[in-house]
Amino acid sequence: MKLYLALTIVSLKMYFRNRQALFWALFFPLLIMLIFGIMNFDGFNSPDVGVYDAAENDASRSLIDSLRGSDGAQVLAVSVGSREEVMNELKFGETRAAIIIPENFGVPGEFAELQVTYDERYAQERVVISTVLGQVTDALFKEVAQVPSEYRVENSIGISESFIEGQGQGFKGWLIPGIAAMAIMQTGLFTVVFTLVRFKSQGVLRRLKATPIGASHFLAGQLTTKAIVVVLQTYVLVIVGALVLGVTVGGGRLAVWFDLTILALLGGALFIAIGLAVSGWAKNEETAAPIANIISMPMMFLSGVFFPLSIMPEWVTRWSQYLPLTYLADGMRAITVEGAAITTLGSELLGLAVWIAIAFVIATRMFRWE
Amino acid sequence: MTTVNPVIVAKELRKQYEDITAVDGISFEVRRGEVFGMLGPNGAGKTTTIEILEGMRDADSGQAIINGINVKDDPTAVKAIIGVQLQQNAFFDNLKLAEIVDLYARLYKAKIDPVEILSRVGLESRKNARYAHLSGGQKQRLSIAVALVNDPVVLFLDEPTTGLDPQARRQVWALVNKISENGATIMLTTHYMEEAEELCDRVAVIEDGQIIALDTPDNLIDQLLETGFKPEKRVREATLDDVFLNLTGRDLRD
Repeated sequence: MKLYLALTIVSLKMYFRNRQALFWALFFPLLIMLIFGIMNFDGFNSPDVGVYDAAENDASRSLIDSLRGSDGAQVLAVSVGSREEVMNELKFGETRAAIIIPENFGVPGEFAELQVTYDERYAQERVVISTVLGQVTDALFKEVAQVPSEYRVENSIGISESFIEGQGQGFKGWLIPGIAAMAIMQTGLFTVVFTLVRFKSQGVLRRLKATPIGASHFLAGQLTTKAIVVVLQTYVLVIVGALVLGVTVGGGRLAVWFDLTILALLGGALFIAIGLAVSGWAKNEETAAPIANIISMPMMFLSGVFFPLSIMPEWVTRWSQYLPLTYLADGMRAITVEGAAITTLGSELLGLAVWIAIAFVIATRMFRWE
Repeated sequence: MTTVNPVIVAKELRKQYEDITAVDGISFEVRRGEVFGMLGPNGAGKTTTIEILEGMRDADSGQAIINGINVKDDPTAVKAIIGVQLQQNAFFDNLKLAEIVDLYARLYKAKIDPVEILSRVGLESRKNARYAHLSGGQKQRLSIAVALVNDPVVLFLDEPTTGLDPQARRQVWALVNKISENGATIMLTTHYMEEAEELCDRVAVIEDGQIIALDTPDNLIDQLLETGFKPEKRVREATLDDVFLNLTGRDLRD
């Protein structure tokens, strides 16, 4: 144990003296995050709207379809959910407005009031949404409920508006946990691969094997170091990202840091194991680098790090939702943006656990000392 | 040939790699306090032999015994009492020399003063230097320092001066002689004959995995001369090595 601690401290010293590693672990993801964060891609999409449909009749379904617009010209990005889901999405900034369709919507002779709640921080989106809603209800009732004056729009449908200030973080809130997850992948994979492959090809591991202790203690110290780096890096990225891009973390919940630490360690364990498998197999840096890139590059773009998976075609998301980095990024996002507790992240934790098991089995089979 | 209380015993060692026989029935014994050299061209089987003795490789057959311990039975116990300098030595680029020595002392559970060990190889002034910044000769001396942390019964040096300039080579020779004077048993491999002549009490000449001669350097030379051998060139009082050292000085360049 004492030896393990001493070896971990030595590994930490080695790590923090390596400026290149520090650059890739901290400054590079930070830079990407700030660049993308400042570019702010929020304005490019049609506004997200959550709809709770209590009526569930032809009229309400017709209303929802109209809000969506046709396939070729999407008007609003509508998602339908329960009242609670819809309000939560608004609260956590995933949508710009929540529309609640009352039970008596479309029932002849009754006055139905649509309740629309806006996120007051997004004035522009509010204008778009309320204009669309006005036009759509108008058009709808001209078609569906022709005739008598008591059935005319102004007499049968009302729209009430209210505002909340969402904790929503928009694209920036999306980006920070995504980049933090990506950085965990890069650190776990690349620093493990490059240090171990270099130690292997230079003969450092051989020399360690000539000692009575062997190289396994040393390896344990090295891996512990990477795990510590992964956690520190997550803190730095989330804190600096939150401060510079003006995003609140975890809805102010203090336990969020504990949850983040656990999730970062899980993600770290996963990608360190993948790194071990690659470095166990590869003989030198020339073969290790392409393999590590082949593993990490697709995930960087297919795991919803920079943009939501929802903007990708369905045939991509059908399988990319099962990628290791997708589980990690989703989990990080739930904790940092939505303020979810780690105990509520069932599918993400399960996905990570399965991948960790697979990676460790492969790593132990692939690892060679020389 | 049986030696009283030998420190190293190799008996009929054999090692086959796929289609080549690297070690083909090698036997010898090394006395306590002796400097024993293995000479031979590249690929003759020197390194494989030494690595079997160090517990780094298993022999296919035969016995290797260090200080009474059978290497195959308890490689860990052997590793604990030997000092090892591998042919390809590398340490951690981002650690200071004193930190490297301290790290290895821990791996041998040895209590030592890293600076004292470094001073034995003339590197105490570089104790805060990073490994990456050392010259070739300094790296080699550091690897000898690391091999000394556990006060080894036997010191194995695999080509300790390959790739060094003449000044650094002489420095390593002086170091090996000093360690030997302090009573350590040393086994080294080399393909420099003047190195073997300078350092070794006895040498084994290896070719194709077999020992083809084993004696003191003087005896081997005498045996050759008795056959009526005449060197192609008349031996002069000085060599080109001496000329080089006389011109460039004996001081180290690092």
